[in-house]
Amino acid sequence: MPEEMIAIENINKKFGDTEVLKDLNGKVEKGQVICVIGPSGGGKSTFLRCLNMLEQPTSGKIMFENSDLTSLNESQINQLREKMGMVFQSFNLFSNMTVVENVKLAPIKVKKMSNDDAQKLALKLLAQVGLAEKADDYPASLSGGQQQRVAIARALAMNPDVMLFDEPTSALDPEMVGEVLKVMQDLANEGMTMVVVTHEMGFAKNVADEVWFMDGGVFAEKGTPDQIFEHPQNERTQDFLAKILEA
Amino acid sequence: MKKIMSWLMLVVTLSVALLGGFAQPSHAATTGTEDSLARVKAKGTLVMGTSPDYPPYEFLVNRGGKERVVGMDVDIAKKIAKDLGVKLVIKQMDFDSLLVALETNKVDMVISGMSPTPARKKSVDFSKVYYKGGQSIIINKADKGLYKDKDSFENKSLGAQTGSIQYNLGKKQIKGSKMKGLAKISDLILALKSHKAEGVIMETPSAQAYVDNDPDLAMINGKFDLGSGENDTAIGFKKGSTSLVNAVNKSVDEITQKKLTKTYLKDAGTYMKTNTHNTSMWHYSGYFLKGVEYTLLITIISVFFGILLGILFALMRLSKMKLVHALGVVYIEFVRGTPLMIQVMFVYFGIGLFINIPALIAGIIAVSLNSAAYVAEIIRGGINSVAKGQTEAARSLGLSQRQTFQSVVFPQALKNIWPALGNEFVSLIKESSIVSIIGVTDLIYQLKAVQTATYKGVIPIVVAMIIYFILTFSLSKVLNHYERKMKHDA
Ligand SMILES: Nc1ncnc2c1ncn2[C@@H]1O[C@H](COP(=O)(O)OP(=O)(O)O)[C@@H](O)[C@H]1O
Repeated sequence: MPEEMIAIENINKKFGDTEVLKDLNGKVEKGQVICVIGPSGGGKSTFLRCLNMLEQPTSGKIMFENSDLTSLNESQINQLREKMGMVFQSFNLFSNMTVVENVKLAPIKVKKMSNDDAQKLALKLLAQVGLAEKADDYPASLSGGQQQRVAIARALAMNPDVMLFDEPTSALDPEMVGEVLKVMQDLANEGMTMVVVTHEMGFAKNVADEVWFMDGGVFAEKGTPDQIFEHPQNERTQDFLAKILEA
Repeated sequence: MKKIMSWLMLVVTLSVALLGGFAQPSHAATTGTEDSLARVKAKGTLVMGTSPDYPPYEFLVNRGGKERVVGMDVDIAKKIAKDLGVKLVIKQMDFDSLLVALETNKVDMVISGMSPTPARKKSVDFSKVYYKGGQSIIINKADKGLYKDKDSFENKSLGAQTGSIQYNLGKKQIKGSKMKGLAKISDLILALKSHKAEGVIMETPSAQAYVDNDPDLAMINGKFDLGSGENDTAIGFKKGSTSLVNAVNKSVDEITQKKLTKTYLKDAGTYMKTNTHNTSMWHYSGYFLKGVEYTLLITIISVFFGILLGILFALMRLSKMKLVHALGVVYIEFVRGTPLMIQVMFVYFGIGLFINIPALIAGIIAVSLNSAAYVAEIIRGGINSVAKGQTEAARSLGLSQRQTFQSVVFPQALKNIWPALGNEFVSLIKESSIVSIIGVTDLIYQLKAVQTATYKGVIPIVVAMIIYFILTFSLSKVLNHYERKMKHDA
């Protein structure tokens, strides 16, 4: 019996009068990798940001480890956010801190870890993403790919149950995309639960357990990579894939 | 010296009166008994308010590097205190502030060459007249043949203190005169010497003092048509202080009978001679040093509290809670929309109604509160300049709003606004000079003190200017150094 991690129930999101997410439903099981694909403007980022309440859904429920996130107060949300790591398109490393300080910050502040333990943990995670030697540099001196790997290490430092990726390679020069995807693939292989918004169809094909195709604020089609990429049923999915392959 | 209250004071007096209305239902009226004399005797001190820039009435002398208020008025006050059997305390402040100080119980009496004009009598009780001066006109000695009395100045330009009785006399009694008003006698003398004015109208004893101490000046009798009170000098008290006025009048009677003012004026003359004996700026370095000390003290403390409060007000203004936000906006906009000068007077006299705060503390409070509003806007700009992604990243890691602010947003905001904060620090050094109006002995105050003591107008200005420049320039250098260091770090 697979263990359910996140359940999305009838999520709606409006910005003013525009309806960006329309009645979304879905389940993420422990250890699963979900890739969300679709044309831009379709609502993928907004959906992902609703999962850890960076955006507040207008209605609906988000069940995470048996709590409804939409019904919790600030500090309860903070506690659950620890367990949901997030990686952003624009890295968002803290520019006022060194690389290692970036990784240590949350363990020390939120988990009240000692500085020594946090330092050890940070160095281990930096080694895992291949950046141990950059520990004392400031983010501004790193390449985009390196910054994104630090951002992943920073999220992992909280030992999350699930990792959310919001187009993690879209802001990168093409030659750096590979190094970041490699780190993500390793994570998936270790059994990390992941929800990944991405335009990297290769990654989705090879790593995802399920692909959710999103367009116009709805999941137009969900299925295994094989179903979505080889036998798309929905017309919009077919269109989208055709355009991607042309390009 | 016989100034009419300026409109500025009127505003403060009104607001003070308004506050006072709530604070203390005028107890003299309700109880019927009048205890002004009893209160002075009970506390054992008689506090005299005066503006020591008016020799020979009152002025500052340099005694072994320390300044002292001396002059005829001080001698009179000493005699009164002795007659009442209490200790004399002298409080210095701008002439403009004296009446409000009476009203708000900061001083028991005002002796500052003040004339009991009908307008003043409406709000102040006066003693009997202790001195009758005349009105004279100071001219450049070189022009001595040209001018005889006031009528020689038809269609000429004349100087007098702004809002003073001399100013009105010149305007009303000399046909076609072009009156030039300045706040300080010393500045008027400068104007005279540079021929911006052909004469300066002044009370005779003061005119005499200037002529005695400056070989380039001469004086002539103005022959003005003087009405009631305008020629007289008396002691001012808070309205309704009958018992105190009566007691003081006994001393005044004795002074008049024994013609004591003659002796007092002679003493004052001696002081003025010793004063002008050594007028090198070096001799007065103690004055300037003390001024620098106070200017720096006020600035540093105000910067500290200005930043603390500025953060608070910035956060209030950024708050999502409507009431808190509104309070922040109102504070910031109100403080930025009113002059620091009024704020200083309001804190000293207005708040002073409820608790008696010394001028220095009042100055620091006012400057801090003022700076806080400007710093708040700088900080708000700094916080808004931090990219939204930084906050989101911190929140996604489970940091609370407060932790995010402390560890991520604020340090980055601080780096962005460091130059602007530095500017604020530098400009506070200059702007804090306004506290001199309530008698805080900062650099500007000391500059004026040296001007009156030495009868030199320009050199003290130059000295103060150089000191201000050294202060601000070296501070800018230090701040730049840290700015570069911060840039380098990140
Ligand atoms: N904060 C916001 N305010 C208003 N509209 C927004 C906001 N964020 C996103 N949108 C709109 O929501 C729609 C979906 O955006 P997004 O979730 O970024 O799509 P995707 O990630 O699929 O490109 C877009 O039309 C976008 O303009």
